[in-house]
Amino acid sequence: MSEPRILAFLCKWCAYAGADLAGTTRKHYDPNLISIRVTCSGRIDPSFVLKALEEGYDGILIAGCHPGTCHYINGNYKALRRFTLLRKLLKQIGIPDERVRLEWISASESDKFVTVVNDMIEKLRKLEPMAPVQQLTRTR
Amino acid sequence: MQSYLYFPGCSLRTVARDFEDSALASARALGLELKEMQGWLCCGAVFPNVADNVMTNAGPNRILARARAESDTLVTLCAGCHNVLKRANIQAGRNLIKQEQINEFNEEEYKGGLGVLHFLEVLRDRVGFSVIKEATRVPLQDLPVGAYYGCLLLRPFEEMKLDDPHRPSVLEDLLASIGCSPVDYPSRTECCGSFLGVGAPDAMILLSRNVVQSARSYGAKLLAVSCPLCKYNLETSQKQDLAASSGSQPLPVVYFTQLLGLALGVSPQDLRLSQAQLETIRGDMRNTIESVSRP
Amino acid sequence: MKRVGVFVCHCGLNIAGTVNVKEVTDLASKTPDVVIAADHRYLCSEPGQALIKDSIKQHRLDAVVIAACSPAMHEVTFRNAARAAGLNRHQCEIANIREQCSWVHDNIEKATEKANVIIRQSIEKVSLNEPLDPITVPVTRRALVVGGGIAGIRAALDVANSGHQVYLVEKTGSIGGRMAQLSETFPTLDCSICILGPLMVEAYRNPNIKILRLSEVEDVKGFVGNFKVKVRQQPIYVKETECNSCGECVKVCPAEVPNEFDSGLTWRKAIYIPFAQAVPPAYVLDAKSCLGLLPQACGECKKACDKLGMSCINLDARPETHELEVGAIISATGYELYDATRLTEYGYGIYPDVMTSLEFERMLSASGPTSGVIRRPSDGRIPKEVVFIQCAGQREPETALAYCSKICCMYTARHAMLFHHKVPDGQAYVFYMDIRAGGKGYEEFVKRCQEERGLLYLRGRVAKVYEDSNRLVVKGVDTLSGKTVEINADVVVLAVGMVPSQGSRELANILKASVDENGFFAEAHPKLRPLESATAGIFLAGAGQAPKDIPDTVAQASGAASKALNLLSSPTLEREPTVAQIVNELCSGCGICVSACPFEALSLNRERKIAEVAEALCEGCGTCVASCPSGALSLRNLTDTQIVAMIRAGRY
Repeated sequence: MSEPRILAFLCKWCAYAGADLAGTTRKHYDPNLISIRVTCSGRIDPSFVLKALEEGYDGILIAGCHPGTCHYINGNYKALRRFTLLRKLLKQIGIPDERVRLEWISASESDKFVTVVNDMIEKLRKLEPMAPVQQLTRTR
Repeated sequence: MQSYLYFPGCSLRTVARDFEDSALASARALGLELKEMQGWLCCGAVFPNVADNVMTNAGPNRILARARAESDTLVTLCAGCHNVLKRANIQAGRNLIKQEQINEFNEEEYKGGLGVLHFLEVLRDRVGFSVIKEATRVPLQDLPVGAYYGCLLLRPFEEMKLDDPHRPSVLEDLLASIGCSPVDYPSRTECCGSFLGVGAPDAMILLSRNVVQSARSYGAKLLAVSCPLCKYNLETSQKQDLAASSGSQPLPVVYFTQLLGLALGVSPQDLRLSQAQLETIRGDMRNTIESVSRP
Repeated sequence: MKRVGVFVCHCGLNIAGTVNVKEVTDLASKTPDVVIAADHRYLCSEPGQALIKDSIKQHRLDAVVIAACSPAMHEVTFRNAARAAGLNRHQCEIANIREQCSWVHDNIEKATEKANVIIRQSIEKVSLNEPLDPITVPVTRRALVVGGGIAGIRAALDVANSGHQVYLVEKTGSIGGRMAQLSETFPTLDCSICILGPLMVEAYRNPNIKILRLSEVEDVKGFVGNFKVKVRQQPIYVKETECNSCGECVKVCPAEVPNEFDSGLTWRKAIYIPFAQAVPPAYVLDAKSCLGLLPQACGECKKACDKLGMSCINLDARPETHELEVGAIISATGYELYDATRLTEYGYGIYPDVMTSLEFERMLSASGPTSGVIRRPSDGRIPKEVVFIQCAGQREPETALAYCSKICCMYTARHAMLFHHKVPDGQAYVFYMDIRAGGKGYEEFVKRCQEERGLLYLRGRVAKVYEDSNRLVVKGVDTLSGKTVEINADVVVLAVGMVPSQGSRELANILKASVDENGFFAEAHPKLRPLESATAGIFLAGAGQAPKDIPDTVAQASGAASKALNLLSSPTLEREPTVAQIVNELCSGCGICVSACPFEALSLNRERKIAEVAEALCEGCGTCVASCPSGALSLRNLTDTQIVAMIRAGRY
């Protein structure tokens, strides 16, 4: 069974800094996760998540600042709203909840970052790997 | 005839028959029917609001569900019952998780949609004090009455919203419309001691005595209440005092519905007014009352 | 096709210990578009940077990827190096193979594999990066201060003394604000108007400050550095340059209304001077209380003035709209008191002897309604028993204000102490919940008040105030002794809460600055950015932002001025260019982006029916981009295409 691959969208002010802090403090997590640094969790279009699933990622993590602390005031609220709707859509197409997660991780919460990542990896290991859709329908 | 679904509560059927009888009679005299709801049970008497407990709210919710099956409005008389049912109703709309638990436990589910009103609200907002003034057949000739609200009718204001919690006027306005001269005394919204009469009677006596003395010192000849427990406390606290200072007259305590009924021409017997109470009210109104009272 | 250079850092053993740097460099060099890949022990060092710069020149690179520590560490360093070598700063991307790779994984093979993937992502991104230059906007080097209280005056003086012009807009007829109404200030017991007066005069005399009294901001257009403000000034019936404050007009005026300056305790005429030390030193005709100007119903004031040969009064004056151009705006709109009639337990408005703290303050003042003698409003007698109630309608989330107004414990101590000073055989009682005396010298002051004058401090709340035979009875509790307390009081003083001045919300809307749930102007960050609003170019000072005392107000005002001066210090302003942009042809004018933007950087052009970005206001968060249904919006150098490319590159 191949190892699950996780794509993480980390907001540069909070979550990315939290992930960096995990490194600075030499915490450990398995190398299943690759991150993309975004300005704000509000930047994330739900279609990115769908694209990632299409590309064969087993799990997607969206991490932003805690409500009330967003550097851009309320980008994270918009991320939350979009995520809520996205969840409903994913349910309809049969994607289990474990695959797409939204977390609030502040710049000091390196422990939380590591816990979330390890937890996601654990849960995803129990699921079937996502078959890259591109193998079936390549349109580009 | 305008009909309202009505919740009597335990006390009104036992020790406070005078409250219920006078209320039903006054309502009739105003062209209202207070129709007893089916399958009512004890509201829990204040305790449902005290503990953050699901079980204590099961009873009130059963009442609300059963009432809702018959109407969208429920009228209460006892201030205690009113407080419990009104607040249980509000909580049902707020704490949805707790509500789900309660609904799962009860046979009947309460899903909202019931308005809980106190009889005073019906008189003020649905009938109107000017209408009551018109209907008055036996004006009470500036009888100096001290309206006593106690706590449960008014507080917590955020939920009860019956009147201003510190300077209410609904009882005084009603009493004025039937010809009384309501007395504004400071302790009219202070606690009578409630259930302390059972566990700490000295404290209850202290509190109730304070109310009575305040009313008396501002010139009230009697007190008008809306709660059987308030009435009990106010009367009991005076018994102790009178035993100590023999000779002075007690300040009678009546239900506001008894005064209302009297003004509308209901007979004192139907209102279950005691001799002592009547005498205080009458003063020199003896002839007027006897000649105009209805059977 | 860009010519890309990849540079992999060992970072000593920090990266090299877990990632096979040689292998990574080798693989990178074989990647399409990569012209050169090199490794180095410490890329951030001088030799390391030299390697990068030389390679750029030697290999005619269009872009570089630096695989090293987190961009949070050295993105600026490497971007500067790239620029020094002739590249645009945005043609340099950082691949984080340390904090998020070598430092958190221990399997060398897997960490190396991941490092390769991270570098591939960065190559994809930098290949699509546009060369961008900072956005330069011109700055109008003038400031606007809204509100002429101590905050506004201090801010205006600081900006003016640095050589820039300031407009000071004040709603009433005189600057001075609340501080002018105070008798003394804690903890020094300085006479308030004595220390304020010189500042007011200084503001009036300063050639760089133009005071617009009886004025309000009506509209603000533009953005940081370039605001166009419309200020509406009420008709100036009394010419300030001519009026010499002789007061003859007042004597003949027949109309009387409650005097706002004395909190309604006295009367003033329709023509009046706001207070004796008013600045500008001129009278004001209040059209609302005048018997009539259109048509003229009276005109006695003008007659009296003309008779003296003064002719300062022009009853045909019209309102005027001033159009101002400024670069920075400081909001210093201050506070007023919570409406005490809502606190029915205290009987304010029912019993004349229940007063607010500001009313008591006016009574203490030598220039007040009773020339500093404390009297009962009902019968004018000197009160002997005075009860002060702290936290009146405050710290009560269910029924009134949830917050604490910070200054009441202090001024109540001062009030009680001054009362004793004026009525030595009187007794003051203070009902309190806590004593908040955190400022410099504050605790000592309160203690001094308590001890020197025999004030009775009762820790507890007041349940009710009622009347009994012409005296007030205050029914409360003293929790420290566990007893209920009833005090027969002659006067009751309520320390009511500070709320934002009337009109604050409307002004915030006009400025496009946000307010918090209590109506105070919202700061950009409660801890680190208390002097500016989230809207660029709008700064905050004084109690309009949150309840505070005079020292904090003055400090904040000078701070806000310094922020404004920052802005005004150069003729142009540079903003980050990674902002939103719109492809007009794809925009349907739906307006969703306009409501998504927290900075009001987007607006709908009604004629062209498309959205437009005010680049100077855009903070580059990208929320609008994700909300756009037609894909018309993109974020420079973090486009959807780039993100998708990074998603695909991230697959192992």
